[in-house]
Amino acid sequence: MEIQARSLVLFFATLAASAFWLGYSWGGDGGGDFPPVTHKLTREECGSCHMAYPAGLLPARSWVRMMGTLDKHFGEDASLPPAEVQEITRYLTANAADNPQATLRMRRIASGIARAAAPLRFTETPYFGYVHDEVPSYVWKRAKIGSKANCIACHTRADSGSFDEREIKIPKD
Amino acid sequence: MKPQSLLFLAALALAPAAAHAETPQQILAAYEHQAGSPGNAARGERFFLSKRTRADGEQVACATCHTENPKARGQTRARKVIEPLAPVANRERFTDPAKVEKWFKRNCNDVLERPCTAQEKADFVAYLISVK
Repeated sequence: MEIQARSLVLFFATLAASAFWLGYSWGGDGGGDFPPVTHKLTREECGSCHMAYPAGLLPARSWVRMMGTLDKHFGEDASLPPAEVQEITRYLTANAADNPQATLRMRRIASGIARAAAPLRFTETPYFGYVHDEVPSYVWKRAKIGSKANCIACHTRADSGSFDEREIKIPKD
Repeated sequence: MKPQSLLFLAALALAPAAAHAETPQQILAAYEHQAGSPGNAARGERFFLSKRTRADGEQVACATCHTENPKARGQTRARKVIEPLAPVANRERFTDPAKVEKWFKRNCNDVLERPCTAQEKADFVAYLISVK
């Protein structure tokens, strides 16, 4: 009898552990699809004006174009010494959406972009439009959001590279 | 080896990393030297607050992002916090000459659409040091 009870406990414990594990690996789109910027210089330089966007949001050719036009960066001068430009470009391109180790979501971003195109805004990629098509235009204009570039306004864990659907909290104003 | 001498060696090894750290006064002195005359805090304050219309029609000032109070935090256009400009409110301000030059280059271009002169930089730093 006692042995049976013990094996029952073991059985349910195993079941619970498996359910927990499956919940993680099957849950939605999974968390942490866009590894946050770990490279110190990139994190500091890009992150001093805005969230340091994960390299996996754009293909390598976009990053090359971006880093080549830093003196006119979305209407601002974000210029850097050439050695730093080179180092940051190396990190961003190695971890870009089209890098050989890219996650599924990164590959989807990359494959949606025309070969001849090198968009500078992730928000202008077909993938962004596809996953945000249910967000009405008036929501983007809310004061706490203000811009499509403000990921963390709704994706509460964006700064840790996680854009899981369950973590979304859209501000009401 | 004695623990003290180990500590001494460790301090020696760390010294180069701190070699570029300066005080706001040293940074001011360097700009004054370049300009050939002392920084003027009152002129620096006018420089900080003055608004101008850019070629693209936008009215801008340093204070647009930094706010008119140098002891307060500002905000970039992309909504990131900017720590206060006045050293009295932010001990890291004006301690790294390369960083100071980097931001003068960018921000003078953005607001004035030209590089700042050494005199303007000296006035600006003198003003922010004078904020108590």
